[in-house]
Amino acid sequence: MVTGTGLLAAGLNLAPTPPPRPGSTAAPDRSVSPGTALSRSVPVRVEIPAISVRAEVVPVAADADGRLEVPPLDRPTVAGWYRPGASPGEAGNAVIVGHVDSLRGPAVFFNLGRLRAGDTIRVTRSDGEVVTFAVDGVGSYPKDRFPTDRVYGGGAAARLRLITCGGRFDLRQGDYLDNIVVFASRVR
Amino acid sequence: MKAQAVLGSAAVGVGFGTLLLPAVALADTTVSPATTPVGGTVVLTATTCNPKDGDVIFHVTGPNRDQNVRSTTAAAGGGLSAELFTAGFTLGTYTVAATCGNGSSAGSAQFTVTPIGGAPAGGGGSSAGGTTAAVAFTAGGALLGAGATGLVVLLRRRRHAGAVA
Repeated sequence: MVTGTGLLAAGLNLAPTPPPRPGSTAAPDRSVSPGTALSRSVPVRVEIPAISVRAEVVPVAADADGRLEVPPLDRPTVAGWYRPGASPGEAGNAVIVGHVDSLRGPAVFFNLGRLRAGDTIRVTRSDGEVVTFAVDGVGSYPKDRFPTDRVYGGGAAARLRLITCGGRFDLRQGDYLDNIVVFASRVR
Repeated sequence: MKAQAVLGSAAVGVGFGTLLLPAVALADTTVSPATTPVGGTVVLTATTCNPKDGDVIFHVTGPNRDQNVRSTTAAAGGGLSAELFTAGFTLGTYTVAATCGNGSSAGSAQFTVTPIGGAPAGGGGSSAGGTTAAVAFTAGGALLGAGATGLVVLLRRRRHAGAVA
């Protein structure tokens, strides 16, 4: 009974650290010269010094319901590259997704909401190129109003989008209600 | 000398025009919206095709498509349009090349089929009220219930034993 009472108390007041929220709404993408786009190459690692992220990247696509796939929850330190889209450094928007947390606690993109304009993101590709991006802005969006066009749309410039969960965790749905999206443009 | 200058200008003009031509041709075909979640509908329009010449054929190619779509309606801004339903499309970027009823090319455009909605990228383990909390709460409730039942049974037995003695 003592254990039960303890667990009840824990259930009511467990893990008091929700994921950080972005400071302001996402700024529009910076106007950048398209420069010389790289050819296609699979990304293998993402590094974000400002929030101490160094993570392996694996390819993902979509699940049977057409929703963006994410790496399995039992590998919370791994990020997923959206394979049907551009690769980092190619013309267009490359998309990398990572969990905000797992059942055990914070995961690879837990601190994504802390990023600010100008922060650096480096992506290493399988061809050995390291592509550097600068953050243009960070936004929080309800999942039913996800900015599909800004995330997956593209142009001549090489851009990067990082996605994770945010906002309130809905117990009934077993999912967070929002997505945090980082918008970044290639600088090197 | 003057003739040479005119010829030179004409050559530059033709060259410049040739350079610009592909860009102009690209704008003759549009896809709206340019990105759609899989299962959405996009409208293909060949803006410069004359409806009197007959239907436009839109040739759609991409990750898992190589199909022709025939125009069905006159576009409000001119030209001809067709709707394309993207259910069953593989995610990725598709190219639409249009051919007018008279056989002339109306250029091409691209659209992107994307995942639906946002990403389910969290387990709730770091959030107050998250899954771990729910599991602990439920387990705690169950244990508490079992403990209470055990206590009731124990008290009943003790009372029963007391009554017999």
